[in-house]
Amino acid sequence: MTWLDASFRHSIGDFDLDVDISMEKEISVFFGPSGAGKSMTLRLMAGLIKPNGGGRLVLGNRVLSDESSWTSPKTRRISMVFQDLALFPHMTAQQNVAFAMDDRMPRREANKEASKWLEKVGLNGKKNLFPPQLSGGQRQRVALARSLASEPDLILLDEPFSALDTPLRRSLRRELKRLHRETSVPMIYVTHQIEDVCSLGDRIFLVKDGRITGKIRSEELLSGTGERWHSLGWGTTMEGTVVRGDGGMRFLWNGGKLILPPSINEEGPASAFISPDNISLLYPNIPMDPIFSENIVRGTVLERYIIGNLCHLHVEGGGTSWQLEFPSTSYTSLDTEEGSPVAMAIRPRNISIIFKNRRNLP
Amino acid sequence: MIQSLIISLKVLLVDVPLLLIIGTSSGWLLAKKDFPGKPILETALMLPVALPPAVLGLYLLMALGSIPAMRSMGLLFSFPAASIAALIPSMPLIISASRTGFLSVPNSLEEAARTMGKGEWQIFYRITLPLARKYILAGLALSSARALGDFGVTLMIAGNIPGRTQTLPLYIYSQVESLEFAKANAAAAVLACVGVASLLFVRRMEGRS
Repeated sequence: MTWLDASFRHSIGDFDLDVDISMEKEISVFFGPSGAGKSMTLRLMAGLIKPNGGGRLVLGNRVLSDESSWTSPKTRRISMVFQDLALFPHMTAQQNVAFAMDDRMPRREANKEASKWLEKVGLNGKKNLFPPQLSGGQRQRVALARSLASEPDLILLDEPFSALDTPLRRSLRRELKRLHRETSVPMIYVTHQIEDVCSLGDRIFLVKDGRITGKIRSEELLSGTGERWHSLGWGTTMEGTVVRGDGGMRFLWNGGKLILPPSINEEGPASAFISPDNISLLYPNIPMDPIFSENIVRGTVLERYIIGNLCHLHVEGGGTSWQLEFPSTSYTSLDTEEGSPVAMAIRPRNISIIFKNRRNLP
Repeated sequence: MIQSLIISLKVLLVDVPLLLIIGTSSGWLLAKKDFPGKPILETALMLPVALPPAVLGLYLLMALGSIPAMRSMGLLFSFPAASIAALIPSMPLIISASRTGFLSVPNSLEEAARTMGKGEWQIFYRITLPLARKYILAGLALSSARALGDFGVTLMIAGNIPGRTQTLPLYIYSQVESLEFAKANAAAAVLACVGVASLLFVRRMEGRS
């Protein structure tokens, strides 16, 4: 028996979700493309929606829902950080945090506690500002403080850092891990960014098309060979080396090389990950964006299928199998039938590098 | 004129709380809940603003006069009828304003409060209502001005009885009929001021973020 055991079946329209999750008191990451059912799973856990096909949620020794019972979100002690953060615009930072506690203690005490929480997330002196007066990163911190202040048994984070730029995301991830160490509140973090997966999660669930298609512990992912990565079943992963070249860093693998973004500044053996929606196809004879001109890989379409309005391609090229995903209305004038030759372009900033055998990202 | 002014103010005294309670709760229901027959209810609630006052007055007259339970209450051509006449055509204004207000509050705010252990009433009073308040107040100002200015519906079901149902607009009409333009103008000035003031108030509410 693990600490958390959950299974839900829920369908809306023609999307149907069927997931089983179990985890200890740790940080888990739900990773997968948009629309895979990650957020829906969180909402089912929080009790914001009732599973219409049945479900079960056990937290420690508390049965929060099963065939015969259902606990409302009010008494679940599961707090959630929403993608839009859901800060109350008519309350100051301090009032936002105090709101989470004022059922348990007098208002004045809640305010005092709220100040402490705000200090803990590095927002000294900001407690009397309203959300619109805070920067993006500061708002994230208020939302984190507020979710921790309600003393939950579990915190659900629904892509809370998705709107921020990379350095800020990195510092907030570090912050989140520190808060987890200090409070030891288990967390589930939803993301479609591979960096989050590598730097945050103890346990990784790959969510795809309403199913959990992979469960991996992060050590395996970081120390393992490419096989583990491929077991994620989504995106393109290659094993190779990062080396310094003229004019920037390169990723070399036994089928070619890619130019890396300037944010990468060390060398060594690494994996490169490219998500399927970040690979573009090139039209022959049409001038291209110069940024594309060097990161081009030529290959042959192995398989093509369309699900909903997304077209999926598997392309063999440079000794690797590449996965592409784009709206089925794109590239209609291009020959993407099975067996056709195609040229793929990748922007350097869309390449994620994970160095071997250590957590290079905080 | 003072007599009519007092009657008009008494009508407002009755109608403003009703506008607030009925208007806000209907607005909330339409914004936040889904139920069978919602489009029908929505249309019915908005109908008074689309119907000509004479038509609305006629239907109310028939309802109050021919439905036995209503007839036995003896509402017609009395002060309660004047209150009802002013209330019904002004109700859609506050309903649609408060519905817009409630729709402007993102669901995630209420859900966040729910996951923090708050009950539905607490969420309404501390999150939803404060955030929708400026819309509700703007709607209240407009609908009160409409209630104060009602003429046609009041004339149809409450009549024009000085000292009982003669509100300011009916007073103006009576004075004009008897060519007492000075008195008519004095009363008109009062109503015009109220109209301008309520618009200024609405503007202020809309400008506040």
